[in-house]
Formats: sequence, C-alpha cells, structure tokens
Amino acid sequence: MNQPLLKVEHLSRHFGSGATAVRAVDDVSFEIARGETLGLVGESGCGKTSLVRTLLKLGPATSGSAVLDGVEITKASGRELHELRRKMQVVFQDPYQSLNPRLRVDRLISEPWSLHPDAVPKARWREETVKLLESVGLRAEHADRYPSEFSGGQRQRLGIARALTLDPTLLVCDEPVSALDVSVQAQVVNLLARLRRERNLAMLFVAHDLAVVRHVSDRVMVMYLGKIIETGPKQSIFSAPAHPYTQALMSAVPTPDPRLRGHRKRIVLEGDLPSPANPPSGCRFRTRCWKATSICAEQEPGLTARTAAPGLLTACHHANAEAAY
Amino acid sequence: MALLEVKDLQVSFDTASGRIFALNGVSFSLERGEVLALLGESGSGKSVTASAIMDLVPNPPGAIDRGSIRFDGTELLKLSRTARRDLCGSRIALIFQDALAALNPVYPVGWQIAEMYRIHGRNPEGGVEKAVIDLLTAIGIPDPERRARQYPHEFSGGMRQRIMIAMAVALEPDVIIADEPTTALDVTIQAQVVDLLATIRKRSDAGMIFITHDLGVVAELADRVAVMYAGRIVETANVFELFEDARHPYSVGLLASQPRLDTDEDELVPIPGSAPNPVALPSGCAFRTRCPRAEALCAEVIPPLETVGPGRQAACHFPVSPA
Repeated sequence: MNQPLLKVEHLSRHFGSGATAVRAVDDVSFEIARGETLGLVGESGCGKTSLVRTLLKLGPATSGSAVLDGVEITKASGRELHELRRKMQVVFQDPYQSLNPRLRVDRLISEPWSLHPDAVPKARWREETVKLLESVGLRAEHADRYPSEFSGGQRQRLGIARALTLDPTLLVCDEPVSALDVSVQAQVVNLLARLRRERNLAMLFVAHDLAVVRHVSDRVMVMYLGKIIETGPKQSIFSAPAHPYTQALMSAVPTPDPRLRGHRKRIVLEGDLPSPANPPSGCRFRTRCWKATSICAEQEPGLTARTAAPGLLTACHHANAEAAY
Repeated sequence: MALLEVKDLQVSFDTASGRIFALNGVSFSLERGEVLALLGESGSGKSVTASAIMDLVPNPPGAIDRGSIRFDGTELLKLSRTARRDLCGSRIALIFQDALAALNPVYPVGWQIAEMYRIHGRNPEGGVEKAVIDLLTAIGIPDPERRARQYPHEFSGGMRQRIMIAMAVALEPDVIIADEPTTALDVTIQAQVVDLLATIRKRSDAGMIFITHDLGVVAELADRVAVMYAGRIVETANVFELFEDARHPYSVGLLASQPRLDTDEDELVPIPGSAPNPVALPSGCAFRTRCPRAEALCAEVIPPLETVGPGRQAACHFPVSPA
C-alpha cells in the first residue's frame, strides 16, 4: 500500500468573505509520505503559518480537504479530533512562549498522557518522561525543573520531547530553529534528523532559512501569496529551480563565503509582497517578475512539470532552469 | 590614527540576579572607509558595544566601568553630555534593528528625517524639504514627495529599514553603526537592504560597524571581522582569513555549525552546550566549557587578545593552527 500519510487537496483558508477576503491559503494541494520530510519555505505573509494552523485544526478550512491517515482533518470533531491530535503534533517557533512557565518539566511532558490515558499508564509516567528527556539530549534530573531554568536550545528540546509524548506519525515544525543561535540551531537540527530516523517520523518543516530546509528536507515546497508556486525533490529544487521567485529567493540568500562576493548572480527583487486581499490577476508573482508578459496577467499558471528536472513542478508560464543562480 | 578606537571597554548592568558584565574589556579600531563586522550570538555584547559608543547605555542600571572610546582623536567618555549628543547623529550614526520601534508612529517619516537637520542646526543647500526628498530617492523609495508625508505604519518592513538608513546617513556621518539592520527582514528584502548599505559604503568614506549574527551577511559586506563571545572579542581577522582559516575554536565552531545552501552536508557540526550565563561566567576563558581544545590552563588564566598573524588577533591559549 502506497497511501500518502497526509493528502491535502484544494485546501483554502480565507479570512473575511466576499471581494475583500484575505486569501491566505488558496487552493493548495500536496502530499507527505510516511517518514518523509517536506520543507515549506516562503517569506512573511505567504501563508505558511495559515496553512500549518489549518492542518493542525487550529482554525477552520474555507474549502478543500486534508486527510491524515484516512481521517478528514477539516471535518473532524469530538472523539475523532482527539485521536487525530495524537497522530499529529507540533513544535512551535518560540520555546519561551510555548511552554507553560508554571508547570514543572515532568508535568509538562506528562500532560498529554493525562488527556490520552490509554497511551501510557500513570505508574510509568516518570520512567517514560526520563526516557523522552534522554532521547532529546536532556537529563533525568531536568524533570524536576521549571522552563525558566533552561536555555533557549534546551527549551526547544523540551518542546520536541513534549511533541513526541504520544508517538505521533506527523510532526509539524513551525520555524523550530529560527529563534536559536547558529551554534545551538545545529544541535536541534541534528536532533530532529535523528528522531526522524529512529521513529520513522514524517515532518512538515516550515522555515524561512533555506539552508536549514535544504539540510533537513526530502522534498521542498515554495509558497508565494497563498499559492504553492514550485515543489519537488530537494535536489531538483535547489540545483535547478525553474520558477523565477524560487530563483530570486535562493540568489538572495547571502553565502557564507567572501570569495564569492560579487561573483554570484544575484536577482534582487523589486518592491514588496502585494496584499493577499487583492492579489494580482493571473500569476501572483508577475508584479515583481522580470519575465512577466501579457499571458501572466491573463492566465494563472498551473503547477505542472515544465522542465527536465526530475519531479519538479512549477507554476510559471516562463519556467526555465537556465536562469538558475 | 584610527577613526574610532575602543580600548578595554567594560560595561556592566545591575540585575535582580546580580551584576552582569556585558562587556569585559573590548578593544578594536575602525578605519575610514572600512566595514568592520561585529559577529556574535545573542548576549555576546555586540549591541551593548554599539550602545556604549552612542551613549545609549541606560544608567542606572547600566554603567561604563572603564575603558576608552576615541573618535577622531577625541575621548568620547570624557565629553560633556551635550557635546556627546551633538556628535551622535551628525558624525556617528546608528541604524537600529527594529525600525518600527525606532520610528515615531505619530509623525510623518519626512518630518522625522528632517528632524536630523533641525536638531543639529543644519541648512542643507536647497532647503530641508528638498534634502529629504533627495534622500528618499537615493534609498530607492518610489514617489518620494507623497511618501514623505506618510506615517511609519504605511510602509513595509523593508521600506521602514530604508528610512532608518536615510536618517542615519542624512548628515553624512563619519561612522555608521548598523545594529542587525537586516535581521527582521525576509531574504529578498534583506538582499535589497544589504545592496543599499553596500552602495552607501562605496559612495562615502565613512567607517561602518556592522553588527550581526549572520555569517552570510558578514561574507557579503565586511572587510574585517571581530568575533565576540561572552562580552569579549575572541578573534579579529580580515573577512577572507576568518572564513578560510579561523584560529579561535569558537570561530571555527560557528563556521562549521552553519548549514550551506550550495552543498549537502551529512550532519551539521554544532558547538556543544549553550552560551554561558552572564551572571556566572566560567573562570578563565568563557568558552572553555564548550571548547574541544580546552585544557587546565584555560580554567585559570583569561587568554588575552594576542597577535597571531599580520593584522589578526585571537584570544586563545591553544589556537587552531594555520590551515
């Protein structure tokens, strides 16, 4: 059986209604296989967080469907939703705000077990807590401390341990390392990679740091103004991106190598993101695109295979890997 | 004579958990036309260094305990408050990280840029209004006449950062300090702002101190780099030497822990542990608890910043040997 773990079809999330609705997520379709890591990149306001919140059922979908392991997320409620939450857990961006400062670590970690009493019997909570802490690189004695006694990196480890308590099949990581310093960020990235291998976890890894996404992902999806504009295996998307926006995004990332200064082709985009309440007609990127022609204003480009890069789907009338950086 | 020379600067803050030494003897110099990057992670003292130069260390709880900051031959720490204020903004300017917090929400941006001229009693040729419009044009704000009358909230994050930059360069300062000016921005917008700073630097012979934690931005913009850790400078080198042949184990670790966009690496090499608590720094070298090269000496003696090659220094008892 080769059923995807998560299958998202034509999912939309609009805020407000009618002509002034902000179309934060607009007709998005993708899949995540078991044990696979899908990276999601895009700039502020592109809809990453709205998509994640809709998938986690932290907000309603406007239309479309998202099926996790045979269960329709958008329609789940009550018992079904309770079970769904067990399979799908989240690691938040800010390890300072996402942990209750008044709960000791042992309470923090075991709280999900009190909501799902069949998961781990109460007699084994302590033992399992210690196991989890050790699996994320913390120590048994940390169970008796409060979040304020930990550094940022350690708190993110706690956040990860807590997300793993119910042994989920899908871990949604929303900018899990962007609040951390570079030296500590690498520790958490390595930890996620190890846990993923050990537990065959599928991950949706949302980040704006393209280098981190390249490091952790199997496949990558690029969002712009509520749409997926390019997606494919990481090799294809990083070595032969065909969408002008993906190309610009990658060329804008400063390379930590001073010898390349001035030798790299840099595409500097003009202007800012248009308002998602009033997106451009046709291709949403056309107002900032140097390749735009009249067809771009008239027809919205579909997400299809347009170049020779294996598995790469691009939503652009002028898709061309030649112009890659 | 260096344009700006900071020597043995120590800054501390009173906090509920004790006195924190944010800077423990920081020394560096900046030449005209040079971009010096202060590179370090949170809490390393980068921004406090900028505050000390700009006379923005809040007192109390903060205090400059000792040291010297000489600008163009004048000792800043001995100047009167008014004399210092005159210098700041006109000859030494600061670009803040958070433009939304740094701009006044109730005045139009043109008015705020013009304030630079008013406060420092300048009368630019052609009038203040023309000078403001020219500045907005120079930093790439379309439709500057109309935009000058708008308020900060009507601009995007990248535009607001450009306006901060316009204010900083308005009086053609000799020293520009940029405190993480691109950190809050998206990469495509960051690229625009980095380009703008590079242009400004080409056009004037001002010295620039660029404060950042981003190795990529350092590689794009800096001539020389001072790496900071726990309130000290642990290594200085020109940008090529630092990236190819770092000597301090912390610099080496920092470079190794960064994932790359242009290659696939099997596993990242993090620095173990986390930055020390500033209330209780380790004895001797503050990095020793995370350092793979640490020996007994490191716990006893604070390594001084010593010359390890032409124009480069490192503060380590056991520096990494040249590549």
